[in-house]
Amino acid sequence: MKYDVVIIGGGITGTGIAHELAKYQLKTILLESGTDVAFSATKQNGGVIHPGYDPHPGTLKAKLNPPGARMYPRLSKELGFKILPTGTLVVAYSDQDLKKVDELMDNARINGVEKVERLDFEQLHNREPHISDKALGALLANTTVMVDPFEVAIAFMENAMQNGVELGLCQKVRKIEKRAEEDFVVYTQDRQYETRFIVNAAGVHADDVAAMAGIHEYQVEGRHGNLCVLDKVLPIHTVMFPCPGPDTKGIALIPTVSGNFLIGSTATMREDKYDVTNDAHGIDELIKGAKMLLPDFDPRCIIRTFAGQRPVVLNNGNDFYIRESEIVKGFIHAAGIQSPGIASSPAIAEYVRDLLANAGLDLKDKSDYNPYREPIPDFSDLSLEEQDALIKKDPAWGKIVCRCETVPEGEIIAAIHSTLGARTVEGVKRRTRAGMGRCQSGFCQYKVMQILSRELGIPEEQVLFEEQGAQVLYGKIKG
Amino acid sequence: MRTLKYDVVVIGGGPAGLAAALKAREKVEKVAVLERNDELGGILNQCIHSGFGLHVFKEELTGPEYAQRYVDMVAETDISCYLNTMVLDVTEDKHVVAMSEDGMLVFEASSVVLAMGCRERTRGQIRIPGTRPAGVFTAGLAQRYVNLENFKPGSRVVILGSGDIGLIMARRLTLEGIKVVGVYELMPYANGLYRNIKNCLDDFGIPLHLSTTVTKIVGSKRVQAVEVSAVDENLKPIPGTEEIIPCDTVLLSIGLIPENELSKKAGIELNPVTNGPKVDNALETSVKGIFACGNVLHVHDLVDQVTKEAEDAGTYAAEYAAECAAAQQADAAVSTDVETAAEACGTSNAETEIAVIPEGMVRYTVPTRICANRTPVTKIKFRVGRPVETAKIRITSGDKVIFESKKAKKFVPSIMENVNLTAAQLADVQDEIKVTLV
Repeated sequence: MKYDVVIIGGGITGTGIAHELAKYQLKTILLESGTDVAFSATKQNGGVIHPGYDPHPGTLKAKLNPPGARMYPRLSKELGFKILPTGTLVVAYSDQDLKKVDELMDNARINGVEKVERLDFEQLHNREPHISDKALGALLANTTVMVDPFEVAIAFMENAMQNGVELGLCQKVRKIEKRAEEDFVVYTQDRQYETRFIVNAAGVHADDVAAMAGIHEYQVEGRHGNLCVLDKVLPIHTVMFPCPGPDTKGIALIPTVSGNFLIGSTATMREDKYDVTNDAHGIDELIKGAKMLLPDFDPRCIIRTFAGQRPVVLNNGNDFYIRESEIVKGFIHAAGIQSPGIASSPAIAEYVRDLLANAGLDLKDKSDYNPYREPIPDFSDLSLEEQDALIKKDPAWGKIVCRCETVPEGEIIAAIHSTLGARTVEGVKRRTRAGMGRCQSGFCQYKVMQILSRELGIPEEQVLFEEQGAQVLYGKIKG
Repeated sequence: MRTLKYDVVVIGGGPAGLAAALKAREKVEKVAVLERNDELGGILNQCIHSGFGLHVFKEELTGPEYAQRYVDMVAETDISCYLNTMVLDVTEDKHVVAMSEDGMLVFEASSVVLAMGCRERTRGQIRIPGTRPAGVFTAGLAQRYVNLENFKPGSRVVILGSGDIGLIMARRLTLEGIKVVGVYELMPYANGLYRNIKNCLDDFGIPLHLSTTVTKIVGSKRVQAVEVSAVDENLKPIPGTEEIIPCDTVLLSIGLIPENELSKKAGIELNPVTNGPKVDNALETSVKGIFACGNVLHVHDLVDQVTKEAEDAGTYAAEYAAECAAAQQADAAVSTDVETAAEACGTSNAETEIAVIPEGMVRYTVPTRICANRTPVTKIKFRVGRPVETAKIRITSGDKVIFESKKAKKFVPSIMENVNLTAAQLADVQDEIKVTLV
């Protein structure tokens, strides 16, 4: 019954590690406090797979970002998540910025990032004709791809589960006890898990989780960022950043895999690391940032705003904090995974695997490991013939639910009954995009509620919006 | 994949689509209505309050009653109604691609009427800061839950925006025992109809707070409160006026947006003020043979006006289809060159166009251009940008006044204005007319 590894935290880091450990003959479980994976920072960022020109050489970020990013095209094929090759522009507005571009070119070379070039005014304006006239030149990193970070985390976890890794949702870790060498007990509100090793991938909670094991090596704070989602209207093809500041990459315009765009993000340290409220000032800053890149930017195309907290380990040079605890052996930290965490996550997973092996975990290949995961078909992405064939097999695929994103009932039913099925209205949204479009679920939420209720066998008034205890509705009007 | 041929294809089975289809059927044989929901009638089905039909039927009906009259009239004809049929694409040559439980369908039409209606403006579009918990609904979604799904959206509600749906919902929720704390409106005046302010708020003692808006949503899982603030004359929140209002639900009634994603796919030119297509006096869009009516064209305040506009669109769409058929027949007699036949479509309408330009307090007009002899009467509809205490409507062509209302009156943005111009009034007009208030 004893686990080899308990992973705490179901973000991109934890699910990535689960996906990696699924390849070996281990008994592994991932514990997540929320009702779904990708519940915090992973769903609250821009989803850019930075190729790795940015991190300072010598840091853990510089070591893990480039190889992590290079794994994405292969992972996308194996795990069936979408990627969109866009490239990144880092745009210079001044001579000083142009010097920064040169610095980044050097970084890229040292970090081993390929296909990075410098664009002059004409090349830049040919590539992106709507960019500001004030843009003098840019660094172009050709290998940047875009992902939906929650789609990746769900794909990681589903593949891990299909290969025997367990998932405990709504399992908030309350206490950790070390009884002996390779003998921990992890307590949640209603269960306990004996394990040999613990991987702490708890994001902004990582220091709190570490403290439960008696580890006070570091403190985690949150770097808060506002983001905006735009309708599918911008005339750009490349991720566009201004030249970066000391702690942040600056406010970027980002094409997404679904055809929408993002503006992201602001960066301010907040006292309360759990505070993910949007603020008007931050949103104004985003609009200003977008107008700086695209002078014709019209804020009326904003369809949603959101915010997130990127975990920052203090006094760690803004770097990731990934190592075995010096105080408590067998306890591995995967903490401080801020940007470029999504890009780095596959490499972080391998790095953590090696830390576990060094700490004494035997890694024997699983003979029946299946690297492939079959995704739910995305109806809106199919050809007319494929759509027709799908409907002929099951008419539920011909019944529209979300008109903005063209999501039929069949797609939602499939998302509910997949390996890591949707359990909430927001869970359906993240898997199918139903409710993510310009009407923001005004027309389809009641239909999604009906389907969730029917498929999960629970009354509609018990269907959750997102979090435990937060139902959408307050009971029946009559009867 | 099935291909189906029709003279007129109407996209949308709400009040606009049904009225357009009925009129079109009077002139051509084959008419289809494509409706994405599982029943006809559109949003009227959830508008169970009364106040519909005073102009068209001279009696006061509920929304479902009003819709049913048209559903019944359509049922007596051979108009084909495709339910659960969602249009995904409309092309310039009037091919309409739709998904349905029977598979993908391609409709080949001589003319198309766009009647897709509108959607509600959302929290994201006005960028209300704060958390993103359960309990934030557009007023229309809440109306659906209460009136058709039999569910309570919450127990203590703040309504942002004084649009008609929000006002109606304030009364509806109160009648179901749900506490409505208040209605907050950014503008210094109410956006809904006067009768709704009186009947839905005043009669129930629900306060309306003008020049006040929600500046933050509070609560991590479910809404716990909103922060409201007074705004200045530039509609910016005034620091220091913040007040926390405890509630578990927020309803948004902050405006409607014509839903023109399909129009954009068809290459139709839109009016950035209305977010609807630019049309001429026959309600034809910038793409020949594609017509628009109802809330997809511009947001109406009364369904009766939607019906009348849609009847015109249906008539002109059918005339266009009939002309196409006639041209094809005539052409087939001489040659089999379909290209020429298609080109002949609508050529009888080719004549000088008059631009219609809103000026001063007039925010927009429908139509934006007139082909003088195309319709017996040219119906001009417009709204003002903000309330005007007393003024007259004046329409000019150069220095010449071609229309001026007899009596001065009050104008408000929530009420659409109508002026009918005769061919005689437009006879000497050259390039443009201007619509203004004096």
